[in-house]
Amino acid sequence: MTKKRQILFTLVRGFVAILIALLVATLLIFISAKGEGFSAKLAATGKALQQMLIGPLFRTGRSGAAFELKRLTDIFASMIPIIFTGLSVCIMFSANQFNLGAEGGIMLGAFVTSMIAIYVPMAAGLHPIVAVLIGGLAVAAMMLLPALLKTRLGVSEMVCSLMLNYIVMYLIKFLLNTYLADKTKGQIQSYEFLPTSKIGAMIDTGWKLSWGFLIALVAVVLCGLYMYRTRWGYAIRMIGINQAFSKYSGMKVAYVIVMSQVVGGFLAGIGGGIEMLGRYQTFSWSSLPGYGWTGITIAILAGNNCYAVPLAAFFMAYLSKGCDLMATYAKVPSQLIDIIQGVIFLFFAAEQFLSHYRQKLVVKSAQEELARKKLEEAREGGAANA
Amino acid sequence: MLNFLKLLFTPEFFFSIIRISAPILFATLGAIIVEKAGFCNIGLEGIMMFAALAGSMVSYYASSWLLGLLAALAMGTLMGLMMGFFAFQLKTDITLVGIAVNMMGSGGTLFLCKVITNLTEGKAMASTTGLITSQLTIPNITIPLVEKIPFLGGILSGHSLLTWLAFLICGLTSVMLYKTSLGLNIRAVGENPNAASSVGVSVLKIKYIAIAYSGLMAGFGGAFMSMSYAQGWSQDMVAGRGFIALAAQAMGSGECLGGMLSSLVFGFAQALGIKFSAIGLDSNLASPIPYAVTIIGLVIFAVSKRNREKKLHSPASLEKAGAKK
Repeated sequence: MTKKRQILFTLVRGFVAILIALLVATLLIFISAKGEGFSAKLAATGKALQQMLIGPLFRTGRSGAAFELKRLTDIFASMIPIIFTGLSVCIMFSANQFNLGAEGGIMLGAFVTSMIAIYVPMAAGLHPIVAVLIGGLAVAAMMLLPALLKTRLGVSEMVCSLMLNYIVMYLIKFLLNTYLADKTKGQIQSYEFLPTSKIGAMIDTGWKLSWGFLIALVAVVLCGLYMYRTRWGYAIRMIGINQAFSKYSGMKVAYVIVMSQVVGGFLAGIGGGIEMLGRYQTFSWSSLPGYGWTGITIAILAGNNCYAVPLAAFFMAYLSKGCDLMATYAKVPSQLIDIIQGVIFLFFAAEQFLSHYRQKLVVKSAQEELARKKLEEAREGGAANA
Repeated sequence: MLNFLKLLFTPEFFFSIIRISAPILFATLGAIIVEKAGFCNIGLEGIMMFAALAGSMVSYYASSWLLGLLAALAMGTLMGLMMGFFAFQLKTDITLVGIAVNMMGSGGTLFLCKVITNLTEGKAMASTTGLITSQLTIPNITIPLVEKIPFLGGILSGHSLLTWLAFLICGLTSVMLYKTSLGLNIRAVGENPNAASSVGVSVLKIKYIAIAYSGLMAGFGGAFMSMSYAQGWSQDMVAGRGFIALAAQAMGSGECLGGMLSSLVFGFAQALGIKFSAIGLDSNLASPIPYAVTIIGLVIFAVSKRNREKKLHSPASLEKAGAKK
């Protein structure tokens, strides 16, 4: 199949998957829409869909839709943590390691970074960098546990990392509630971060977009280079494709498997730290934030390709914002995003989805090739005869 | 210390171990059967969430716990079949299907709960605990004679119908796997699908049966959670039991009896955690105990398995094997 056809197929397939998910969503919105009779419900559904699909960028009023910069920067801001978890999952899944610890990892990274931001005074420029890096290293160390247990003892990294998520969450809650909470506040939260530790605003439109966004994009490029331009990245991808072959050809399989998860953990950790210092004044997460799961969806949408992660993250952030708006203005519960996410996920990951269409494209390409060859042969034959 | 042990070894404590183990045992059976058929179902957690919601909803609207239970079972089986469709027909990686089901199980169930209560009750509710009364939960069974036995009676009598079913089905599943042709086929498909296919076994059909059975078990587990363990459904109520079941399956080396014993270990860990928090330990320190025990259990299991294999291949045992010949 020609490269152009392959890209066409990937696009059509993605488009159809998203369309199916939106159809399911429409059906669910229709069921939940308020209104007497079919037409009233239909109108309510249309309104809700409008909020979900164009609301994230445009304010809709009587005079039509108007683009709003603030909404765009909001989406960019919410892309920051999920770009990092997306990259983290991309690298771990590339090595065929189903480590689902990005969820606990981002919380641990956020927590450790916050603690350094609160209790360890440092110079203004240095503080956020050190805090975020230590947060990342803490999560990298956490990921050693499932990784080493997998390579040394064959313990499932998936079950182990899932259990770790719960353990990390409860321990952070314990530390925060008993020792670290600011008791003067009504809700459970830490003391405020030192002003030296803040990550500043890149664009300020009320709800600011921090420099973390730029760092996230740099991280995308670095991860892309790591995965496609270094031998470590090559080893990770080869092991994911065929572990036995990689071992046979002399790669240190166990080492690379551990490394992929440590790098993945580091990314999730700095994602949590950057999110904290760029967006919040205190640490107050009391449950897992869900960014790890979104990261898995992003990795699937991006096909484990680091460079496609920002696009997938934009899409997920857009949808999630749309669902939030829909919940506010059309009273459709915002958890609809989980169903949409699940459906898109299922169809994107389905290898045989639309396989008939691919078959047709392959056949068409082959026929064209044959026809061209025949034509060439005929021409050559004609030249010989003359 | 002695006082604490005295506090621990009460009939109520053992009763709660059995009660807590039951949903884990159901899910473990679901994990065992697909493991025998050669794959891994990590969607148990999500299926349990959906089944728990379906069970409590239907039992409320039909005012019958039996219909609720049946709805939960149907929901579980359907979810299993759906997973099968994506995994076997559309060739999605089964692990990814499981992750998707878990994603939907966490937020999607809350969405459905809000939407359905909004339609029928007039306001969106985030849980069904307000709707379910004790008549709508699965009845407890007191055993007439056993009840009177001093220590044992307190442990064994008064359990939910589903608790008994959990242990009964555990035995039945074992019989099914080892004494029926269906069980033989499932194991054959798991061990060598090509060989099974060559003697005329429909591999696809067997895999569908296995995952439907797995869904059915998760349905039982979900029904137990919302209709017996707690009154009504609430978000994330399954709290990782579907994942713990995967560990229990591995620790029980994929056998029903072993799975049952490891479920009891996890039940013990959780009951212990509850007991600890009752005597003053911070609940945030007590809650992670079962999850930590899961990791420790997996490690112990892996180490002992490796040692066994080492022993098997040691010079001494090879000599012995040679001498027998």
